Amino acid sequence: MNMSFDFWIWVSAFLTLCVFSFLYKDNPFYKFAEHLFVGASNGYLVTIIWHGSLWPQGIRPIFTEGNWWLIIALIIGMLYFTRFFPRTSWLVRIPIAIVMGYGTGAAIPATIQADIMRQIQGTVLTPQNFARWNAGSSGVIWTILLFIGVACTLSYFYFSREHKGVLGVTSRIGVVFIMIGFGAAFGYTVMARISLLIGRLQFLLGDWLGVLQ
Amino acid sequence: MKKRIPLLLVLIFGIAGIIPYYSQYPLVQNVQSFIRNDMIRIIAAFALVLGLGSLLKVHFDKIRRHRENWEYSWVLILSFVVTAIIGLFGGRTGGGMLPTSIGSFVFNIQVIYENVNVPLGSTMFALLAFFMASAAYRAFRARSLDSTLLLVTAFIVMLGVLPLGNRISHHLPSFVQWIMDIPNVASKRGIGFGIALGSVATALKILLGIEQKWLGGTR
Amino acid sequence: MKAFEYLSKIDRRIIYLVIGVVVILPLIFPTVERVRVMAPAQSLFNAVDSIPEDMVLMIDFDYDPQTMPENEPMAVALLRHAFKRRIKVAALSLYVQPLALALKALDQVTEEFNARAQTSADSIIYGRDYVLLGWQPPPIVPLLEMGISISNVYSTDYYGYRTDSLPVMQGIENFNDVGILVSISGGNAPLWWVGYSQVLYGVAVGAGLTAVSASDFYIYYQTGQFSGLMVGMKGAAEYEELVESKLQVPGERKASEAMPSLTAAHLAIMVFIIIGNIGYMMRRRI
Repeated sequence: MNMSFDFWIWVSAFLTLCVFSFLYKDNPFYKFAEHLFVGASNGYLVTIIWHGSLWPQGIRPIFTEGNWWLIIALIIGMLYFTRFFPRTSWLVRIPIAIVMGYGTGAAIPATIQADIMRQIQGTVLTPQNFARWNAGSSGVIWTILLFIGVACTLSYFYFSREHKGVLGVTSRIGVVFIMIGFGAAFGYTVMARISLLIGRLQFLLGDWLGVLQ
Repeated sequence: MKKRIPLLLVLIFGIAGIIPYYSQYPLVQNVQSFIRNDMIRIIAAFALVLGLGSLLKVHFDKIRRHRENWEYSWVLILSFVVTAIIGLFGGRTGGGMLPTSIGSFVFNIQVIYENVNVPLGSTMFALLAFFMASAAYRAFRARSLDSTLLLVTAFIVMLGVLPLGNRISHHLPSFVQWIMDIPNVASKRGIGFGIALGSVATALKILLGIEQKWLGGTR
Repeated sequence: MKAFEYLSKIDRRIIYLVIGVVVILPLIFPTVERVRVMAPAQSLFNAVDSIPEDMVLMIDFDYDPQTMPENEPMAVALLRHAFKRRIKVAALSLYVQPLALALKALDQVTEEFNARAQTSADSIIYGRDYVLLGWQPPPIVPLLEMGISISNVYSTDYYGYRTDSLPVMQGIENFNDVGILVSISGGNAPLWWVGYSQVLYGVAVGAGLTAVSASDFYIYYQTGQFSGLMVGMKGAAEYEELVESKLQVPGERKASEAMPSLTAAHLAIMVFIIIGNIGYMMRRRI
């Protein structure tokens, strides 16, 4: 065992154990750690906002480069704080409208192109898609299977008609694909969660206690 | 006016957001750069500051009214003040007007982040491993053919992604890859179409002023 | 019958204890398990490896402490790859929290290389070999504006140096000069790069994802919108394997070392699920 004597490693280890104590039950150590996390995170946030954005991009250029028009953006940004004053709180809608409007507008063609058009292109039965699998003639079978799967999944989510007859069959096939998809998602989720635990234990056993080889 | 101006702004800037995808003229690009760099970037920074203000207000209220666990709100506020001072005046990696080292002991914002934020944040999510195991044991039941199929697929994936899967059978990892490439893609693509169409519809409703919940309140 | 009843009512603390033990023991008593590299990680490796000399590898660090154990090994392996092949690196974050982790990963790999370097040419030097551009809010600004000009968004880097004065950024104007952008993220950032930057400017995008996102993101890999993927800790281990075996870059392989623990934990969870189902089925029959 090669325990560390670094002050900050011990701080990290103590805080890690404070959070792990929640597994037994909620307790003062966990509550302390929780509140410390929120406070320290926001302290870091303020630092980066000031040093990374507000000062170099918003305020300094006004004085050093004469970009006076940035004052307009600063004023609009400060309208966010009218939220705290009931009589003028409606003004907070202005900066929200600008930022959200631009983002929402930009999202429309992005979504249509990336999430709809390209996905349709990847589903249809074309020679490019047959060749994509690098599996020789099996590529044709997999592409057809993929096409059937997508179509049947979509048919399952069509609730305007009762799932009977042809629609009943296709939606049933769709359910099979959906269950396989969710099963795969669950399998990967297990791996994800365990990975997070392993990461913490690697720190405790390795960096702190020094028992890992 | 209190509603009309914001709705008009959302429409104007929404159209401004759409335009770059369809026009590459230099004038259009210059206007877009102005909007993004000289307006939105600065306005958005204030939104983050606002979030901070709201958080502090909530906790000061909690302390004032002595609500449950109000003592811990002091922990939050003090830790925020200390880290903010160290970060703002000490610089992002030291080198600011506030000294952030005493001999070889360093306490700048980067060191604080790595030794306070990182263990706290990552351990909170590490707890999920335990909760997930317990929840899977209690709730994951093969009640029907569908749930059995889900369970079997999960088991195949859980085994196949690991080196153990390769030792069980050389074909198992390839089979898992096939599951991810074909049935998984098929189902997620079908679901994805629905989500994409829904989000485009919602975005259009926001731009056209049909969806007004973001305005908040009735005034 | 009592035994079957007990099977479906095991105390949660016993489950926690078992999970803890099966994860800890393989870490303390490690075994070597080589991972088999699958197509998504191989594709990403090939895409990064074929970046032309006059282009840059852009890395979007978008993971926070909550997903660090999965994403940090990916970032470290990717940086080792880039530095070994002398590929210029431009690092950035779309959010605040990942910035410190970007710095951590960059510092770690730089120190590894510089500890082995014999000359200045072997060393990894900030400004010459890599740059940390920093963070600019909101995400839509770098996503769309860097296609026009990177220095419009990041006129100064994280440390306050003018980006156009740094040797690594000479000749790097916009996305046309980016060989591939790899987004290492615990959330949806890779999708934004695909939806905004790739749609508008055609930049190649790769991703390092948490395993939770994997099944949703595969649809973009299948269409070629992602040039390659690292999926979860296994994906990180695959990339570590590629970097060590093909480029002979030594270094700690956190993801690969975790494989035995991951295996044991998966088996334990599968056993618990089976036990729970046996208890459930027996109780149904009674």
